[in-house]
Amino acid sequence: MADDIKDKVKTDVPTVTFTMDGQEVTVAKGTTILEAARSIGIHIPTFCWHPKLKPVGSCRMCYVEIEKWPKLAVSCVTEATDGMIVHTESDKVKRGRRATLEFLLLNHPLDCPTCDQGGECELQNLTFEHGIDDSRFDFQKNRFTSDTDNTVFDDKRIGPEIILNRNRCILCYRCVRANKEAFGEYDLGVYERGNIAEINAAPGQQVNSPFSGNLPEICPVGALTSVDWRYKMRVWLAGKTPSICPYSSSGSNILIYTDDNKNLIRRVTSRCNDDIDDGWLSDITRYGYQIANSEERLQTPLIKKEGKQVEATWDEALEVICNRFKEITEKKGKVCIGGLISPSLDNASLYCSSKLFRTVFNNNNIDFRTDYRMLPNKPDSYFGMLCNRSFRITDIDDSDVIVVLGSDLIREHHNEYLRIRKAVNFNNARVFSLNPYSVKSADVAQAEIVYNIGTDEIILVAIGLAAIEMGLVEQGLAQGFKEKVKLGSLAEATEVCGVSSDDVKLVARALAGDGKVSVIVGELITRSHGREAVASALFNLSRLLGIDKKGQMAVLARYANSRGAEKLGLLPIPTGAQVEMLKAMWGKFPDAEPQTTDAMLALMHKEEISGGLVLGGNPIMLYPDRQFITEGLEKLDFLVACDLFESETTELADVVLPMSSWAEYEGSYVNLEGCNQVACQAIKHIGQSKPAFEIIRLIAEKIGTSLFESDEQMATEIEQLLSCEPDNATPDNFVDVLPLSEEVDPDFPIPLCICDDPHHTGALTQKAPSLTNFTGEAYIEMSPDLAARLEVSEGQPVRVESPVGKIVMPVKVSKHIDNDVVIIPRNFSQIRVTSLLMRKKRVDRVRITKVDE
Amino acid sequence: MILTEESVRKIKEKLQQYPQPKSVILPALTVAYRQVGYVDADIYREISHIINIPTVEVAEAATFYTMFAKKPRGKYLIQVCHNISCALLGADSLIGYIEEKLGIKIGETTEDNLFTLVTVECLGSCATAPMMQINQDYYEKLTKEKVDQILEDLRSKA
Ligand code: SF4
Ligand code: FES
Ligand code: FES
Repeated sequence: MADDIKDKVKTDVPTVTFTMDGQEVTVAKGTTILEAARSIGIHIPTFCWHPKLKPVGSCRMCYVEIEKWPKLAVSCVTEATDGMIVHTESDKVKRGRRATLEFLLLNHPLDCPTCDQGGECELQNLTFEHGIDDSRFDFQKNRFTSDTDNTVFDDKRIGPEIILNRNRCILCYRCVRANKEAFGEYDLGVYERGNIAEINAAPGQQVNSPFSGNLPEICPVGALTSVDWRYKMRVWLAGKTPSICPYSSSGSNILIYTDDNKNLIRRVTSRCNDDIDDGWLSDITRYGYQIANSEERLQTPLIKKEGKQVEATWDEALEVICNRFKEITEKKGKVCIGGLISPSLDNASLYCSSKLFRTVFNNNNIDFRTDYRMLPNKPDSYFGMLCNRSFRITDIDDSDVIVVLGSDLIREHHNEYLRIRKAVNFNNARVFSLNPYSVKSADVAQAEIVYNIGTDEIILVAIGLAAIEMGLVEQGLAQGFKEKVKLGSLAEATEVCGVSSDDVKLVARALAGDGKVSVIVGELITRSHGREAVASALFNLSRLLGIDKKGQMAVLARYANSRGAEKLGLLPIPTGAQVEMLKAMWGKFPDAEPQTTDAMLALMHKEEISGGLVLGGNPIMLYPDRQFITEGLEKLDFLVACDLFESETTELADVVLPMSSWAEYEGSYVNLEGCNQVACQAIKHIGQSKPAFEIIRLIAEKIGTSLFESDEQMATEIEQLLSCEPDNATPDNFVDVLPLSEEVDPDFPIPLCICDDPHHTGALTQKAPSLTNFTGEAYIEMSPDLAARLEVSEGQPVRVESPVGKIVMPVKVSKHIDNDVVIIPRNFSQIRVTSLLMRKKRVDRVRITKVDE
Repeated sequence: MILTEESVRKIKEKLQQYPQPKSVILPALTVAYRQVGYVDADIYREISHIINIPTVEVAEAATFYTMFAKKPRGKYLIQVCHNISCALLGADSLIGYIEEKLGIKIGETTEDNLFTLVTVECLGSCATAPMMQINQDYYEKLTKEKVDQILEDLRSKA
């Protein structure tokens, strides 16, 4: 906040000068007294005010005295004006605050000894600081009693992870405001008024949004408490370790609370980094830690003997790995071992893997993109270029125009969704959401364009054509753009996409304007076969409308360290600059053919790759063609899998190694904007597990090459690679857009999108009980209209068939979807949804039929 | 659906009259209240559906206003003033009398669903205290005998 204000002062906004506690202060006009005080380090107590929400002035705790004003003023909503003389600590102010506290405590149960908030309760602290030791209120206090649960404490579970105690509530409305304003959720409200006003869930609803965990965190008292943390331990006895979220690509800054005697993580809260997470955590970030504590964690290495995996020591396991890998290399030459590495691992683990494959196995058979289909096997792809662009989360805040293409934000980029909301709330940003189905996060969009699935690049072409038709671009550019597209007119393009040209014109006009622009490309594009066509269409549009000069356009990295993986060159084809750097560091670089995930799997089928290493991530569950990957891995002579848990992938492995979770060692992670952040070690290793990088180094050593002379050497090499900034290159001219269309088989008419559930990420979070409390099993999400046509209602099972697979699962009807696209989350291993997919398809299509019970 | 077609039409008409759908919450609640006699969660949901505003916003507005009844009331709503003038002239004992006579407490409804008894603040008729309002009518300068008579009349009318 302080910095914001200073910034405002710098860039010649009108200012005001006034006096506070004898000190002269100059701030931007419009700054409240409270904000001004904070910027110069004067503390004014508050309850209802929250740095990320608009002020409402409801609690009256922030009283200050302003000379010549008849009454005390609430500083959180009073703007500073020229010449004001403000006192924040006068006797009158202290009396006012004391009176406020007395009022707030009228109905408060004063049940501090049994309250979970004790030790971190703002009411307790401020009463301690300002309060009087007695109350003049000796009537019966108003008592809420819950009709369903235990009545003494009015404990009411209003959501899967939230308990409400209305008696403790001081009605600051932080929760309701955050929910509506910051998260766009309407499942919590304030009812009645006066003495009996109460916070509660909306009638008949649960407080279960993917941001619900923030509510107990911002509640200043113990009215909202988290089920997860409740009564586990007193907060002052917990160890606290700063860390980074291992699930989100924004790298939310978190604080891990531990019970050091039991070596368990107890909870995760926000460390409020304004530039990264803005103080909000998604529930995945908050509850995902539970996997580290899980009883199901792998404890020791396992070796397959006579078809059964049996416990073994590290020495035995490493011995087997070394011997088998050596054997395979001797028999088949250097291309014979492939590695699939999880992009959720820290830099050291990723870099060591790359170095192991390139310097010990001498090949380029390494990839972190296990959930992508049809990756290009050649360098210089436009998509690669698009990935190599700089992006800043905070630049979303002051963007005037935000275009989100192919991203169901609330399922993949929670923090960025909240940023976009913020830009709308505080900066009147205009948001355009372009997706093949209507998404929840489009609630902030000025226009939502739902285009026909598989026409992602055409919609971009349509925007360009609209700008040309409206005469918003100069002739020469228009000519160049038109030459590269097969479609002559806007009408033709909008028809292919099935959208209204008025909406497209709206986007075109916004992008052609002078405002600052952010264009975000999401997972629905990244993982799909259409990525190359979309990248070229986007570069053309950018050239036409000057987008890259007016702001940023980026493919958002998906996992905690996807960006790190790219920067460290954990790809079959690193950039030219990376190769140069690696050559210089290693003194060599393998000249073997680069192999992407797809290519590696194909080589496994042909038995040209016979050894495999899987480091985290459960690729069988994530790869968009279950049969293809399973058969590929089955054909291997030897597979090593390292993970936290047993999975369908480890089941196939000849050696399984237990990996430590991110909380068990210090590691650094690069977030989606390229910022390198450190997660410290919070607990000791579980069982005999080891960090991934250590496992890789041990394997290399066993084989006979030590990857590094010292830990410092490893750190320096990593640092050097990470120092490479994105080159922000664009193609020199308009490029060909090669749309990719495919025949629709009339037997399988319904398009299917595979996404994450809003409460899950990838394969691991199904081991976190709190998250499965929100969603515990797979479902197929569809529009009310489609459900009606299939004659099914919420929760009823349907049979979903594709040409290659068939599964049965319950229906979830979503009102916001309004076309025939269906969505299945991929996070639940019971339902093998990837068995419906075919890797070569751009759009998967299925047939759905009702199952008679 | 609890709301009749007629009510839905009226609510939709209101939507035309305001620039913000949010402004229609209270008029819509009034329409529903007139039809049903009370409002509750089911009605909030129906209204929220018609005017496309989250249910919680409708519920918040409805519960803020005490004059929207939240559960079914008797045919006759007896509102006895117990504010200062009426209190000085015996409102409290009058209320006690009515309670006893109808066999219900304040806020309750008789078993035959005929009468609901509530107390209210000053109805601006202090000169004729003690007084009460039943549905749309004022009954003034009350005595126990008058109350007997009034209730008797209403009962026979019902
Ligand atoms: S529940 Fe907590 S955050 Fe919500 S209004 Fe009450 S005290 Fe404030
Ligand atoms: S903080 Fe200012 S009124 Fe609550
Ligand atoms: S006090 Fe009863 S009507 Fe005024």
